[in-house]
Amino acid sequence: MKRTTIFIIFLLLAASSLNAQDQQQMVSDCALSIGGNTTYLKDFVIKLPEAGNKDNIPVHKENIYLMRKQTYLFTQCNADDSEGELIIELYDKNKQITSSVSKRNGKVYTSIEFSCNKTGLYTLWYSFKDGERGMGVGIVSLLK
Amino acid sequence: MMKKVLAITQVLLILVLISSCRNQGDKGSEFVFPESDSIPVKESEKLSREAIDDIVQNIGSPVEMAALLMGLEVPFISEHLASVEQAENLSTNHQKALRLGIYGADLGYLNIYQKTGTAVETLSTINKLADGLRVGQYFNFETLKNLALNKSNIDSLLFLSVRSYNQMDEYLRKNDRGYLSALMITGVWLEAQYLACQVVKDYPHIDLKNRIGEQKIIINDLLMLLRPYNESSDEYAELYRDIEMLKREYSDVDITYTPGEPETVEKDGRLIVVQREESSVEFSDEVLKGIIIKTEEIRNKIVSL
Repeated sequence: MKRTTIFIIFLLLAASSLNAQDQQQMVSDCALSIGGNTTYLKDFVIKLPEAGNKDNIPVHKENIYLMRKQTYLFTQCNADDSEGELIIELYDKNKQITSSVSKRNGKVYTSIEFSCNKTGLYTLWYSFKDGERGMGVGIVSLLK
Repeated sequence: MMKKVLAITQVLLILVLISSCRNQGDKGSEFVFPESDSIPVKESEKLSREAIDDIVQNIGSPVEMAALLMGLEVPFISEHLASVEQAENLSTNHQKALRLGIYGADLGYLNIYQKTGTAVETLSTINKLADGLRVGQYFNFETLKNLALNKSNIDSLLFLSVRSYNQMDEYLRKNDRGYLSALMITGVWLEAQYLACQVVKDYPHIDLKNRIGEQKIIINDLLMLLRPYNESSDEYAELYRDIEMLKREYSDVDITYTPGEPETVEKDGRLIVVQREESSVEFSDEVLKGIIIKTEEIRNKIVSL
């Protein structure tokens, strides 16, 4: 009995530690994969459940100030075991400015370069394509 | 049967323990005493504070203003940095959190300009302040110091230093220490504003002047962030009053908007979006002078404590 308990404790501790490390690693890998000519500003780890139905897809929202005459790069990376593909939509209040999914052919872009001309508070909407369960990270960086 | 119940109880206890440990950082294994100077949160305030946190969590960026200065090809001026002397003698968490923010913006300025050798002293001071506020687990001093000394990987240095600030801020907010997070954010914002104000005196570039003017939008949210705590102590009330006075200097800054639809193209597999809606800022040199003087006054008061 004791051995079983110790084994379960060990497994739980190991899983917890790996989870945190995996997240850190995922953020670092994604941020540093973007390459030169950018400066990291912010990251958002996104973990969302599968959508109950297609009309009610879970969304993770983050507010961010963007400044005029600055070009931002929004990069999305998926965790290795993520079922869904991370997508981003950029909103200025209730108006959608852009989305990483092409309306024309459904193609998902892993990065969006946004030349901002209006200083203000914007909202980033992160979700997984077709409401699949998933995990990923969104990185916001400055393009030099 | 009894043994099974005991085993399940043990597993549940471990799960609770693990989930509570998740909020600790890399070095965060020691017992944490209750925060002596944290502000008790009334239920009525809690919701509005959470809403405010959502709105304003990224007000202060330690690198964005420095990146603008670099982009405008303005030379690095070390005299603009806050002195790290006496920083170890700060007595209250209020002072430490404000300074942590100020040095964060200075570190961003140093790193963006690749003055990494000079950055080591600032890194060391930040490390001590972060430990003093018990958020040192998010500041990997040894790694940052090595990256700074080796000048080997500026991208990693910038990433790790900015991310450390993001994590410290997130940890403070999520652990009911928004009081300190607000001060840290104010420190970062104020120092970036101070740098811009010092530089614009010698390099009156229109983009820099406009960036200072655009802070009118942000200063309102900054005040909203500080407001729930402004009666918590005399030093908090004083800071709030100072930022309010700075806001008054912005009253004659006009920001207007021109509508437009964004243009999107695909290039090399990347989506490129150009916003056509524009904001523009207008204000006189006299107003700018008032903003500069008030910014200097507030920032210098903080760094002279």
